[in-house]
Amino acid sequence: MSERTLSGTGVTPRAGVGTVVWYRPEADLELPEPPAEGVDAAAERERFEAAREEARAELERERDRTAERVGEEEAAVFDAHVQFLGDPQIEEGVLAEIDGGLPAEHAVRRAFAGPIEQFEGMEGRMAERADDLRDVRDRLVRVLVGGERVNLAELPEGSVVLAERLTPSDTAQLDPDRVAGFATVTGGRTSHAAIFARSLALPAVVGVGGDLESIAEGATVVIDGDAGEVAVDPSEERREAAAGGEEVEIRHEPVSTADGAPVEVAANVGRPAELEPAVARGADGIGLFRTEFLFLDRESPPAEDEQYEAYAEALSAFPAGRVVVRTLDVGGDKPVPYLDLPESENPFLGERGIRRSLGPDAELFETQLRALLRAAGSEHGDGLAVMLPLVATIEEVEAALDALDAVAADLDDAGAEYARPEFGVMIETPAAAFMAPELVERVDFLSVGTNDLAQYVMAADRGDERVADLHDPLHPAVLRAVARTVDAAEGEECWVGMCGEMAGDPDLTELLVGLGLDELSMSAVTIPDVKANVEATDREEAAALAERALAASTKREVNQLIRRDR
Amino acid sequence: MERVVTVVPEAGLHARPAAKFVETVQEYESDVSIARVDNEGDRVAAGSMIAVTSLGVRCGEDVRIIAEGEDAEAALDALEGVLTTPEDELDS
Repeated sequence: MSERTLSGTGVTPRAGVGTVVWYRPEADLELPEPPAEGVDAAAERERFEAAREEARAELERERDRTAERVGEEEAAVFDAHVQFLGDPQIEEGVLAEIDGGLPAEHAVRRAFAGPIEQFEGMEGRMAERADDLRDVRDRLVRVLVGGERVNLAELPEGSVVLAERLTPSDTAQLDPDRVAGFATVTGGRTSHAAIFARSLALPAVVGVGGDLESIAEGATVVIDGDAGEVAVDPSEERREAAAGGEEVEIRHEPVSTADGAPVEVAANVGRPAELEPAVARGADGIGLFRTEFLFLDRESPPAEDEQYEAYAEALSAFPAGRVVVRTLDVGGDKPVPYLDLPESENPFLGERGIRRSLGPDAELFETQLRALLRAAGSEHGDGLAVMLPLVATIEEVEAALDALDAVAADLDDAGAEYARPEFGVMIETPAAAFMAPELVERVDFLSVGTNDLAQYVMAADRGDERVADLHDPLHPAVLRAVARTVDAAEGEECWVGMCGEMAGDPDLTELLVGLGLDELSMSAVTIPDVKANVEATDREEAAALAERALAASTKREVNQLIRRDR
Repeated sequence: MERVVTVVPEAGLHARPAAKFVETVQEYESDVSIARVDNEGDRVAAGSMIAVTSLGVRCGEDVRIIAEGEDAEAALDALEGVLTTPEDELDS
């Protein structure tokens, strides 16, 4: 039988192979027609109250179970469900329908219809609240009709779950040791199911569309969360690739290509809790330490000492490695109460990143630089590197260097212990890629942020699913911007890294080594795969591959070169 | 009695912060309602998760909470506390 492939949105950079189990929640089943003679309203009210109590108890159990197995953050959704369950608007609706002669289960479906429709009509993430309401409604109906819950927690090992959609409660039950992955007809990258899949590192593809229904129960499929594909009756090659994906050995030492060139493989870290997993997965260092966690979700900016502690903690997690700290990168899309962040029509093209640090947030920038220079003088400070976000001009780099000099002079005067860290910029704007030859004369390193670079080169909003195809770093235009950056550093005292999603895609390691990148930084999950691929890469062959990719006219040609068709 | 508060949790009035907010409203006798300061027309009952969530209030936005009843002041104090506590510090 030959392989058949369906595409959707991949949500985890992992693949899994298994046997299809269709999950059709009982709530989709037809309810018996309500009796024509009406109902005993008092009895139906009591049934509703009792069902609501039972549903609440279930939710609380699932909340605790999720908090324990996945995390507090993921469990929060059940707190919301408890409140939706007790919502007075719903209660009023249900009681009115019961008084109108409907049995409780029908009354529940009717009462939820309006609010679900209301959320469905809203923009973006608000629309996903409709999923929460459906989940609460279906739970109530199931309790009312006494339905047995399909037990997602006890599926046979090696199951692949296919469903119209998976609610948060459904996903929370999936046991990653038994389930090889899941795919759904609906859903986007930010749906609950997608977020759960990522936190459990479970292969998943969402938003496949109605074609998914054509896959039969018991079929063998590969869920490729990386390519965003569901392969039915997969080829032997594909099955092996998917099955072998998890077996990669974790390497705790730096790796080199087959012909002996070292390539640093580092982690992107967004908060202190991510340090330990990065070390555990074998990261050589941190290629992108985002500092926003220090600044967001609070009422006043962090003090210099608090920042110093956070940077020193990151450095001590990697005593022998490099830690690249990006200075504060906020703009109109991430509101911070104590900063005056004016709403911008177009926040990604507005005052953000280094533009704010050299403008309205100059004081904050100075404090951050002081904390960083002091951290560079701390016990493991040798590995510290400071990186500026969203650079577009040489003037910005020079102004930031002036600020750094001024802070160093201050610290000298104060007799404080400090050191000058490595200093570099992110290549995210086409302007920076064009100006790379001038940048390399002024900095110690460049790091290509491919998520934003693809967004700005392709003029495609990274958050807009409708242009997701354009927002892809494999477009030759983006690859050429990367190549231009790397070439500018050739023969200079300046290393070039990459810290976008692209760097963590194991399929692209050979291409990226071929383009000449010295460092790749990614989410911890794919570090072992990328390290293994670096070791398998021969630089000469990789350079030839890169040359062909740079000569390509279309993304499709690039995909064919890396033997991937998406 | 009313109070204007800037919403601190990063998620805005969604998920856990919204649930905690509604739960807190229910602990008091007073009638409580909420609206964005710049959109009084959308004022809703603060005891309804659906209504509160549908406002779509984001982090950094200002809301006006109105409470009427014997314990209005205590209710406003408690609700201000919820809206100004970062999400990871909320008790679950």
